Amino acid sequence: MASVHESLYFNPMMTNGVVHANVFGIKDWVTPYKIAVLVLLNEMGRTGEGAVSLMERRRLNQLLLPLLQGPDITLSKLYKLIEDSCPQLANSVQIRIKLMAEGELKDMEQFFDDLSDSFSGTEPEVHKTSVVGLFLRHMILAYSKLSFSQVFKLYTALQQYFQSGEKKTVEDADMELTGREDGERKMEKEDLDVSVREEEVSCSGPLSQKQAEFFLSQQASLLKNDETKALTPASLQKELNNLLKFNPDFAEAHYLSYLNNLRVQDVFSSTHSLLHYFDRLILTGAEGKSNGEEGYGRSLRYAALNLAALHCRFGHYQQAELALQEAIRIAQESNDHVCLQHCLSWLYVLGQKRADSYVLLEHSVKKAVHFGLPYLASLGIQSLVQQRAFAGKTANKLMDALKDSDLLHWKHSLSELIDISIAQKTAIWRLYGRSTMALQQAQMLLSMNSLESVHSGVQQNNTESFAVALCHLAELHAEQGCFAAAAEVLKHLKERFPPNSQHAQLWMLCDQKIQFDRAMNDGKYHLADSLVTGITALNSMEGVYRKAVVLQAQNQMSEAHKLLQKLLSHCEKLKNTEMVISVLLSVAELYWRSSCPTIAMPVLLHALALSKEYRLQYLASETVLNLAFAQLILGIPEQALTLLHMAIEPVLADGAILDKGRAMFLVAKCQVASAASCDPPKKAEALEAAIENLNEAKNYFAKVDCKERIRDVLYFQARLYHMLGKTQERNRCAMLFRQLHQELPSHGVPLINHL
Amino acid sequence: MAASTSVVPVAVTAAVAPVLATNADFSDLREIKKQLLLIAGLTRERGLLHSSKWSAELAFSLPALPLAELQPPPPVTEEDAQDMDAYTLAKAYFDVKEYDRAAHFLHGCNSKKAYFLYMYSRYLSGEKKKDDETVDSLGPLEKGQVKNEALRELRVELSKKHQARELDGFGLYLYGVVLRKLDLVKEAIDVFVEATHVLPLHWGAWLELCNLITDKEMLKFLSLPDTWMKEFFLAHIYTELQLIEEALQKYQNLIDVGFSKSSYIVSQIAVAYHNIRDIDKALSIFNELRKQDPYRIENMDTFSNLLYVRSMKSELSYLAHNLCEIDKYRVETCCVIGNYYSLRSQHEKAALYFQRALKLNPRYLGAWTLMGHEYMEMKNTSAAIQAYRHAIEVNKRDYRAWYGLGQTYEILKMPFYCLYYYRRAHQLRPNDSRMLVALGECYEKLNQLVEAKKCYWRAYAVGDVEKMALVKLAKLHEQLTESEQAAQCYIKYIQDIYSCGEIVEHLEESTAFRYLAQYYFKCKLWDEASTCAQKCCAFNDTREEGKALLRQILQLRNQGETPTSEMPAPFFLPASLSANNTPTRRVSPLNLSSVTP
Repeated sequence: MASVHESLYFNPMMTNGVVHANVFGIKDWVTPYKIAVLVLLNEMGRTGEGAVSLMERRRLNQLLLPLLQGPDITLSKLYKLIEDSCPQLANSVQIRIKLMAEGELKDMEQFFDDLSDSFSGTEPEVHKTSVVGLFLRHMILAYSKLSFSQVFKLYTALQQYFQSGEKKTVEDADMELTGREDGERKMEKEDLDVSVREEEVSCSGPLSQKQAEFFLSQQASLLKNDETKALTPASLQKELNNLLKFNPDFAEAHYLSYLNNLRVQDVFSSTHSLLHYFDRLILTGAEGKSNGEEGYGRSLRYAALNLAALHCRFGHYQQAELALQEAIRIAQESNDHVCLQHCLSWLYVLGQKRADSYVLLEHSVKKAVHFGLPYLASLGIQSLVQQRAFAGKTANKLMDALKDSDLLHWKHSLSELIDISIAQKTAIWRLYGRSTMALQQAQMLLSMNSLESVHSGVQQNNTESFAVALCHLAELHAEQGCFAAAAEVLKHLKERFPPNSQHAQLWMLCDQKIQFDRAMNDGKYHLADSLVTGITALNSMEGVYRKAVVLQAQNQMSEAHKLLQKLLSHCEKLKNTEMVISVLLSVAELYWRSSCPTIAMPVLLHALALSKEYRLQYLASETVLNLAFAQLILGIPEQALTLLHMAIEPVLADGAILDKGRAMFLVAKCQVASAASCDPPKKAEALEAAIENLNEAKNYFAKVDCKERIRDVLYFQARLYHMLGKTQERNRCAMLFRQLHQELPSHGVPLINHL
Repeated sequence: MAASTSVVPVAVTAAVAPVLATNADFSDLREIKKQLLLIAGLTRERGLLHSSKWSAELAFSLPALPLAELQPPPPVTEEDAQDMDAYTLAKAYFDVKEYDRAAHFLHGCNSKKAYFLYMYSRYLSGEKKKDDETVDSLGPLEKGQVKNEALRELRVELSKKHQARELDGFGLYLYGVVLRKLDLVKEAIDVFVEATHVLPLHWGAWLELCNLITDKEMLKFLSLPDTWMKEFFLAHIYTELQLIEEALQKYQNLIDVGFSKSSYIVSQIAVAYHNIRDIDKALSIFNELRKQDPYRIENMDTFSNLLYVRSMKSELSYLAHNLCEIDKYRVETCCVIGNYYSLRSQHEKAALYFQRALKLNPRYLGAWTLMGHEYMEMKNTSAAIQAYRHAIEVNKRDYRAWYGLGQTYEILKMPFYCLYYYRRAHQLRPNDSRMLVALGECYEKLNQLVEAKKCYWRAYAVGDVEKMALVKLAKLHEQLTESEQAAQCYIKYIQDIYSCGEIVEHLEESTAFRYLAQYYFKCKLWDEASTCAQKCCAFNDTREEGKALLRQILQLRNQGETPTSEMPAPFFLPASLSANNTPTRRVSPLNLSSVTP
């Protein structure tokens, strides 16, 4: 967050005609709380008898920074904090404040007179430019600027502060008398972690400029990195309003209010806050002594750019484009290349749907590198990689590019982009169908510590990349049939990203997809159908696809076909190849289930060509499976078997459990079919092999709980055993089949027509 | 007197009550005059100077009462008698602004009057200290933090009395003021309404109510006492809420009833005319007012605005000097002087005087906006933006400030950015054509011509002040080669100008005629074309074209059919207009497709 402006130029006459404290560059002032902190510092510096031990001193030093930066807290809370670090010091601080508050005005005056002593001497206790030294000097300066009446006011304020603190401690003492000492202690410990946040909520008084800056920057970074830890939108807004009431010139608060309004998707208030912020900022730019006119124009450009971003976020693309044009025009007029670069990136975001937008992006990356804007450059590279991945570039080139941008990230320690990069790698590996690699990347991101400062206890921020990686993880586990693990991951996601936070939609979709898949495996189509609405709400295309799948499973072929055709044309328009291939596969399945496998053939070949072109290996092997199946139906099992040998390896290596089972099942079917014409001993051998494969398939299906398919396998096995004359095994399989058959409804689809 | 203690209070209340109970109509002006004189006295005794002044002014406008009718001063009650000494002393202290001292001596008094003065002086003392503190607020006391410390205590005490129903009309008024200062608007409104019921004559309570009511809906749901004071209140609040027609109606009624001499009403009418930009009427009324009441300072800032708009330099200069002699440390005076300098293009000095006005009264909102205008003139856009922003902070409903902000950004060539501001201004003044034209211009710059057309059309429909909307609309149609509509617009424009009968030279008149001539020429309507071409010849810039066109027409006519014998009346003259005069301009809702935050 930019430093808060001191309005040298306009303020003296502005704001109620009152001369402002800011005018003199005082960002801080003396409050009773500050006096208490000063006393603490003073006591800490005391040497000789009663000096604090080294451990205690370390604890105190850790405590000091939040005390100096944070908002004012009540005296009793301050005592508690000090007591936890060093009980003996707390006592002496308490005594000194009591003496000062119950004494006379001259005690306070004396105290401030003595403060500067700590700088004197050959080996001063406090170095002048240290954090503590600066604080001390600020306080001394602020105190000496007080007028007569203000000094007296400060003293009465101190007395009141002390008295309210006294009251509190008396109450506490009463509480302790009731005899819950142990519990109390523990509670306090736990309270301490949250206490800082609670204070922020309840700080009703005015914050000094420094405290306000601290508050704003803290909240802003929390909003960016870890929304759940920031104040809730309502209470944050309340705080901001409070802040603005006391200091209407504090423009940054308007910006934070804009961010806060974005959280709750309030277009009206966010526009209002944003424009207000820039109206205020323009003033600051104007007084920039270094670049006079330039600074003023600068904020104008960024104002327009931010407005474009705002409209883009709310999906008003036309408005965004107009605002962006304005920003570009102004930036061009004033030769601001940096701003132009930002505009260019946004232009890409806006024009993503257009085919030629990658040209913009390439330009943007080149220029950004030229102007030394690492963030923009590598963000551009990442977008480019994403775009190229969808366009079917080879993996090695993409990974190379990502590696190069990673170099940039580490060099400039852009931790946010590092996270994104790893999440992107996960996604790319999944896109190519390499589940192991994807899994490894996801794990790597999760076990990495963040470079940025994170809040106590955790090593990571709750950014989007983590949500993405975790979602992938959940889906990967679900694919492998580890539903318990997937559920665990999802539970974690729910905790880290509560339902109304920014990235919650990611896991919501993921959760519903997994549930849908399970319902489909289980044959509970009505359940799957009910999930479709939820999926559609989050991702319309995915929803339509799933709807078609359900319809197909329920044998409503013509509806499914209609839906799939519509979806196909839509996806082709959007160039969503992944979805196109999935849809093509579904269409092919439709054809052979309606007994026209010959028509399915060209569709499958088209899908195969596409998946090879875009190097979607997993979808390719899936297509090959389908192709083999179609060949089996057409009566050329030998051909199918050779085809299968080609595809089975990637499926077994990276495929989902269900697909592995389907593949093995298919292999067995082909083996049996091709053995039909062989002589008996060879045939028996082939049948034995098929039974083995069926067993394997059965195991796979059992893992994902797919009973329908197990039933099919059992039936098939029983027939094979019968052919081999193994009555006992046959009877066992038949019995199991019968059990399952009673349990499940039959859909009347012939066994052979099912991959 | 002491002997009749038990009787007197009853008699007094009986005597005073009918006086304070007011009629709903104005049938008995004498009675009203009596009431006004009484309340002026009562408010003066309690140090409510502004209300007293208002009542006295109004009373003065009514004919004098004969001696017999004169109201004897209300008899003194036992309680009053007890507190008489303390009250007299305290009132003296109060008058010399030693509020704490006054409060000290009034402590423990029981009579209503003394109690009110006690509380009121405590309140004023708090306010005074607050003001002093604001000046001295270096250091820990940033502005905004300074607040009237007494308010809380006052509220507690008054609410106790309020619950016990021990507050009279003045007490309720003070309670309301305290609540308002504590930002408890809802409670404050309730209390003020109660105050008007108990003591309808006290103008202060009505005035406070005016400040708290923000829209017509709120006004509808108030249950106000049915008295003649309500008419004054309604007229005042209609003016505030920009419901000028209704306000003028009310004031006219009041004048008809017999308040024609009241300078208050006259000034309010002038302000109302100013608000609807009927400048001539407003000016004449103000001039009249100045004659009646030459040392009046209130509302003179509005007067100076009017003079400024009409660029009447000498009058403005006279007014400025005059006011400066009366009292140079009044907000209005500073404002008038600022306007004067602004008219003389001495914008630095103008800004200086507006600043002075703000120092005198930080909540004087007009000055912020005017200062913004001055900075605009000085091309100091950033300062202008600041000033406008401040104006908005003081009053979000200040459409001039929003409009000014829009203009500033327009000057900075950010047409999209300024849309937001113009829209805000438009929302506040939906029927003001200036905002609509400004919006239209922005849309035009952004090449969103459909929206621009909507705006211009709407601007015309709500009554275009500057008469530019139609020309702009016509040009847009021209651009889009919608010649039919363009011609229609030009015709309407010319009709408008002619029907106004203004002699002011309109620059666009020639363009309109030129286009029309060519349009009719293309449509082969020779008569109309030649009429227009002839008109073109009247203007310098289109003379040659007009002549050329006339020649062409002549040629073509000679080639073609014989000309029609009778010459139709020129279509654009008001004569033809009078047939369908006062076109019912249907104002459809302005539906701009863009998102309107």
